[in-house]
Amino acid sequence: MGHWGWLIAIYLFLGGLGAGAYLASFAAEKGLLGKKTNLDRLGYVVSGPIVAFGAFLLIFDLGQGLKKPWLIINMFLNFSSVMTWGIYILSAFICVAFIKAFFLWKKRQAPAVISYLGAILALATAAYTGMLLAVVEGIPFWNSYLMPVVFVVSALSTGLSLTSLLAHFFEKQQVHEMRVSQVHLGLVATEIVALAAFFALIYSGSQGTIAKISANMLLTESLSIPFWLLLVIIGLVGPLAFYLLQARSNKKVLLTSGDQNSALNSERGGIGLLLCDGAVMVGGLTLRCLIIFAALPVWNGILS
Amino acid sequence: MSTNKQVTLSRRNVIKGGLLLGTVAAISIMPIKVLKAEETVKENTTVKTKKQIGFSYDEGKCIKCESCVRICQETYQWESDTPWRRLLKNDKGNALSMSCNHCADPACAKVCPVKAYSKRDSDGIVIHDASKCVGCGYCLYACPYHAPHIQKKTGAVSKCHFCYNLQDTGSGPRCVGVCPTKALTIGDMKELSKKGNLDYKGLPSSKITNPSMIIIPKA
Repeated sequence: MGHWGWLIAIYLFLGGLGAGAYLASFAAEKGLLGKKTNLDRLGYVVSGPIVAFGAFLLIFDLGQGLKKPWLIINMFLNFSSVMTWGIYILSAFICVAFIKAFFLWKKRQAPAVISYLGAILALATAAYTGMLLAVVEGIPFWNSYLMPVVFVVSALSTGLSLTSLLAHFFEKQQVHEMRVSQVHLGLVATEIVALAAFFALIYSGSQGTIAKISANMLLTESLSIPFWLLLVIIGLVGPLAFYLLQARSNKKVLLTSGDQNSALNSERGGIGLLLCDGAVMVGGLTLRCLIIFAALPVWNGILS
Repeated sequence: MSTNKQVTLSRRNVIKGGLLLGTVAAISIMPIKVLKAEETVKENTTVKTKKQIGFSYDEGKCIKCESCVRICQETYQWESDTPWRRLLKNDKGNALSMSCNHCADPACAKVCPVKAYSKRDSDGIVIHDASKCVGCGYCLYACPYHAPHIQKKTGAVSKCHFCYNLQDTGSGPRCVGVCPTKALTIGDMKELSKKGNLDYKGLPSSKITNPSMIIIPKA
């Protein structure tokens, strides 16, 4: 028991991050992140490598597979295993994301079917990282249908953050669309609601006492400091407050509508936004780690 | 600078958002339902028609000599912290000799990505083929009884295989053969399940995997 650790957590995080980055660029391309946007490329470019790197890390977590890597090819075999589904989804997503990036590199319009296929596979990748854990009945804390929901929302949020950060540093054209912050506000708010629902479901007792003990570890016991500090305050409430304030001050700026004023504001918003994006990603990684570390088996292996 | 747009939540956007959320929910919830459905189908068909042998442990007869554990280790040479069979004891004097329970719905076999596990039709024994195992550890989480372990030396999982090779030649498993008081026996689950189950002293619900093992608690 307790075989999975940091590598798996980082892998789950990178899986979600890559998928989220793809979807961020996809949303930007479809005009969902404002009319003027510079987010419509970098998410596509990094998504394939990030997910591929995550999957590569996973190899180092294998016991015999690390010594005899040719056995890994058999991981496509068992269709009743969620891990096998994941291998298919990830492989397909990595391929499509690289194809999409190739078209960008050649400055050609990728066929719409590629973009949409990639978006569906990205959603599936993000959902899979949660499904892998959610189907394990031996770990009551994981065995919740809200697990993939939390993971998908977190993936979208971290992916959007990464894409915004990268766009700030690597895109020549700089735009600060209020729309991005609004969407991110929605995502962070949804994640808080989903996480609250996740814990509410556990404390309702529907998953048994062991799940509650796991939840206690996070909320009040050994893992409570990273949970409240890194995940809740830095990763969720901080960004939520920032995006709310930004939406508010934006309204004021609109009313006064002084050009100087608005420029100043967006400059301040710039640094804050970067910090915020970093914080969202710290929260996302913390979430994966905490969920892995809080796993308790349905039976501890001793007679009561 | 910022192209300030008023927050306009058009009907179109609400519908779009709703559709997106719906898809996410569907993708995440559906597979759980599919898996659950699969399980019930299996329960309704395979379990009742196919033969399933299992262990019976009579706690009142057990003298806690651990012969079953020792003979298993001597025969299969597993590492001491990755045991195939254990004698569990508590301070109230209860005991339970347990190995893999060769479940009717083996969670290990369901999650294993490389199909290293197979369940024999002839007797329901769950056998793990270490030569196929990649050592991902998914089955260690899936099995509620802690039966599969990753052996340090090989990096592959190993677990009790009910001495299937001995059973094929007509003799019983070593642990059962060595038990001096016949506390540990085997039988057909059709008969054994009439005498008891494995829901005992904090053990996980037998509904999860339908284990092929019963315990007869001491009076």
